[in-house]
Amino acid sequence: MEPLKEFKYQHRVQALRNKKLEQTQNKIKLEGLLDEDDYGRIAPPEDGWQSKANHPDGSFYGLDGWTDNFCDLMQNHSVYVDANDAFAGRWMYFMSRMRANKWNPDYPYTDLQDDIDKYDIICGIGDDAHFAPDYQMGVSLGWQGLLDKIQKYRAINTSDEQQKFYDAHERTIRSIQVWISHHIEEIERKIEVENDPELKGNLEEMLQVNKNILSAPPQTLREACQWIIWYHLASRTYNRDGAGGQIDTLLQPFYEKDLADGRIDHDKAVYYLACFLINDPIYWQLGGPDKDGNEQASDISYLILEAGDKINTSLNITVRVHDGMDQELFKRSVAYLIKNKNAWPRFSGDKALVEGFMKNGFDAATARQRIAVGCNWMSLPGQEYTMNDLVKVNMARVFEVAYNEMLDDQSKDNTCNDLWERFEAHLAIAVHTVANGIRHHLKYQKYNEPELILNLLSHGPLEKGLDVADGGAQFYNLSIDGAGLAVVADSLAALQQRIEQEQKVSWDEVDYHLKDDFEGADGERIRLLLKNSERYGQGNSLADGWADKIKDVFTALVRQETDEKKGHLFIPGFFSWANTVGFGKALGATPNGRKSKMPISHGANPNPGFTADAASLAMAGAIARIQPGYGNTAPMQWELDPSLAKEEHAELIGSIIKAHFEMGGTLINVNIMDKEKVLEAHKDPAKYPELVVRITGFTAYFSMLTPEFRQLVVDRILES
Amino acid sequence: MEGRITSIQRMSIHDGPGIRSTVFLKGCNMRCQWCHNPETFSREPELEWLSGKCINCQECLPFCSSGALHLHAGTVQFNKSKCTACFKCIDACYAVALNTIGSDYTPQVLFDEVMQDKVFFDQSGGGVTFSGGEVILQTEFVLECLKLFKGANIHTALETNLLANSDKYMQLLPYVDLVMADLKLMDNASHKKWTAAGNEVVISNIKELDKTGKNYWLRTPVVPGVNHSQEAIEAIAVFVSGLNHLQKFELLPFHPLADSKYKNLGIANPFENVKAVSDTDLKSYQKILLKYNLV
Repeated sequence: MEPLKEFKYQHRVQALRNKKLEQTQNKIKLEGLLDEDDYGRIAPPEDGWQSKANHPDGSFYGLDGWTDNFCDLMQNHSVYVDANDAFAGRWMYFMSRMRANKWNPDYPYTDLQDDIDKYDIICGIGDDAHFAPDYQMGVSLGWQGLLDKIQKYRAINTSDEQQKFYDAHERTIRSIQVWISHHIEEIERKIEVENDPELKGNLEEMLQVNKNILSAPPQTLREACQWIIWYHLASRTYNRDGAGGQIDTLLQPFYEKDLADGRIDHDKAVYYLACFLINDPIYWQLGGPDKDGNEQASDISYLILEAGDKINTSLNITVRVHDGMDQELFKRSVAYLIKNKNAWPRFSGDKALVEGFMKNGFDAATARQRIAVGCNWMSLPGQEYTMNDLVKVNMARVFEVAYNEMLDDQSKDNTCNDLWERFEAHLAIAVHTVANGIRHHLKYQKYNEPELILNLLSHGPLEKGLDVADGGAQFYNLSIDGAGLAVVADSLAALQQRIEQEQKVSWDEVDYHLKDDFEGADGERIRLLLKNSERYGQGNSLADGWADKIKDVFTALVRQETDEKKGHLFIPGFFSWANTVGFGKALGATPNGRKSKMPISHGANPNPGFTADAASLAMAGAIARIQPGYGNTAPMQWELDPSLAKEEHAELIGSIIKAHFEMGGTLINVNIMDKEKVLEAHKDPAKYPELVVRITGFTAYFSMLTPEFRQLVVDRILES
Repeated sequence: MEGRITSIQRMSIHDGPGIRSTVFLKGCNMRCQWCHNPETFSREPELEWLSGKCINCQECLPFCSSGALHLHAGTVQFNKSKCTACFKCIDACYAVALNTIGSDYTPQVLFDEVMQDKVFFDQSGGGVTFSGGEVILQTEFVLECLKLFKGANIHTALETNLLANSDKYMQLLPYVDLVMADLKLMDNASHKKWTAAGNEVVISNIKELDKTGKNYWLRTPVVPGVNHSQEAIEAIAVFVSGLNHLQKFELLPFHPLADSKYKNLGIANPFENVKAVSDTDLKSYQKILLKYNLV
């Protein structure tokens, strides 16, 4: 796999890797531990920029608040230029976290609050991004092209509100250009003092690239990458947006033109791409079918993988697996996964994703464009507003509400059937609550947080003069994820098996031990009885049966929120992101033997330790079976045993991936973690600063996680 | 008709090509002292006690009239020699520290369970492997199973010690895609000493198998104190190199991984303190294999 000759830019890439490690450690030192993506973000200067409130509550809202703050930040943002890098710029500020409140209190949702609290719902109101921009539009138009587009539609949409909308976007673009200009000045300064002729030459090229794209669209691979970097750094800064696109197809024409013009060679292309990838672990898709179903991977797809291998840091590249795929690309992807054991790439399953999305009324060509560009999610770049991964129903809490209600009701005997009916009823209220939350968000989000950056690369907002959340987007394919599937399925199975079928315990005994958190006399024994009941993932177990029912009812409930007249389509998925810890903390002990406050199950995964052996196959089958099936995912989080993750087993690993997708799976996130190593790293994170772990859809440096979250990852790996 | 098995190991990757489900049959006609699967020695169901899972709740004790489960210094212990295999204790053990080893399956039930992984077999070129114990001790059951799997176009393999009348094997061969047989020692006396059976029948059956032209592999476990010597391996290599249709010959290094199994079953492990065969040692045997064109 390694090229025979030495990589010409190895020293530069190594310097960038080393610097990134230093920056990450510095970020931990300055900002503390964080249970989320690495993002490629570096710590801002200590006396850096501060946001300005435009509301009495100390926060900033609406077009004015966001535009004023963003433009001010761009004007005052530190510059970042590294002579080893092909590109200028790094993400530093989390503007969306630099405000007192996330939601404008002038638009309250008090009518929803009780149920949000009752069911521990993450309602998504006031959340941002989580849909994909169309980078193709960006690299075609450039900043001036976008300004021209604003001028064009400003003349058509003439209301005061729309004029203000265009003003804000125009100011936004011009402020980004100011920010780039500051970097141009910094590059010029760096050129003056650089003594190394090779690095000086690199800086001179970097200077020219940035001058060329300050207004005009990019023409070369380096310019295209730099343009994309500026856009996503701006978008990250604005509201953490991390959506990518079909990166190989996006860059292919630039690469091929460079080749034809004799401007690039293999090593230079890999160097650019390595610098591009190290800038930010954006979610990019590689390979996959074009509109007609033909594989769109090309030479640059391989170069991107090779570049990933060169930097081998936190990466979020997803390889799309489909019937007509480039088998060599798949083979190479699996080989890199095994070689580096660094949780990349991930794999998405075209068959179920396309067939599922088509069930929403879209044609195959459109469905194929809905690509893996987020943590757990797919999106049609530039075409839809989705709230992907922002809205979560904690089904374990819904179960707890139903369970407590049944136990409190003395009018009839407790039964699993009764419990199930109550669960269904409460789940219906919870789902309706989140759907109403989304509706509230759509109505008022423009007054709260307009999508100033993502609007630019969406088809519709500028054309209509409407924010993307406010009718600007072409489609509203709104995501609602269920969390805690395994906790609920296993709990129902345990009650059914141990109380109703075997009569080993009574409802009262179980309830006593739940309230006692299994702490009292006989508590641990009863906990183990419940825990060792038939579990979700074992295949045709009682719990698998309950999981099927939960999937069916959750899917139906989400679907019935769809409002075709308004064009609001609701799509179900199963995903918990990193909320497993928070959801668990607010939950008492559950009848699956889970102790109070412990994390809930992860996404669509079975509970750890669900089967004694062959967990990989059992899980692949179980998760494929509970897919909601409308184009959103229920990912398989796969802790792959390092003893299997060897080169000689690459084909077997590949066959498990393909089998999962053949059975209906949608997305696979893989970790290959040595158990001893992860235990040592848990004890002393600083010892393994380079250890990267795929938490859910995203990867993070293990050393950046809180001890509590590290424990969660350790448990998952030890029990896999 | 029912067969008795100890387990179905899904995602087996060392028992033939691709991803396989390996069915371990209970009962063996050899007693290889280094055996990794002591739970397959006896044909009869046995009690397994997992001390690591025991929470010392002592709820099992009233169910054990033989005294096999007893208290020692306040903690539950298991004395295999007293166990009558009544299995009454299992129901009281909520921690799943007590289990029955040995379950009876009809061919159809076994087939249905294994077939849940068909998609993995198809994707990886895998299938089902019958192992043991010794498959030939349950020939009729295995034959019926093989017919079902072949009927479903599933790749089938046997792992066998070839210690039985060749007629029995010949019955199975039409339904078997691959035979993996052990050849442990060429010296008959040593073979008898370490496995409780001579090797005449084994060697005769290997020759018979070779004549059929069937796909087959031979495997030699390299075991310290048993055949861990240049002479023993070379003697095997000489014999193997004279075979005409052998597809593959493998040396399988001894690993001390079965100790917990012996402990769980409450039986002595004769190889308890024996260390694994090193990669270096194994490499030195590879030279012999090279000499005889067996690599």
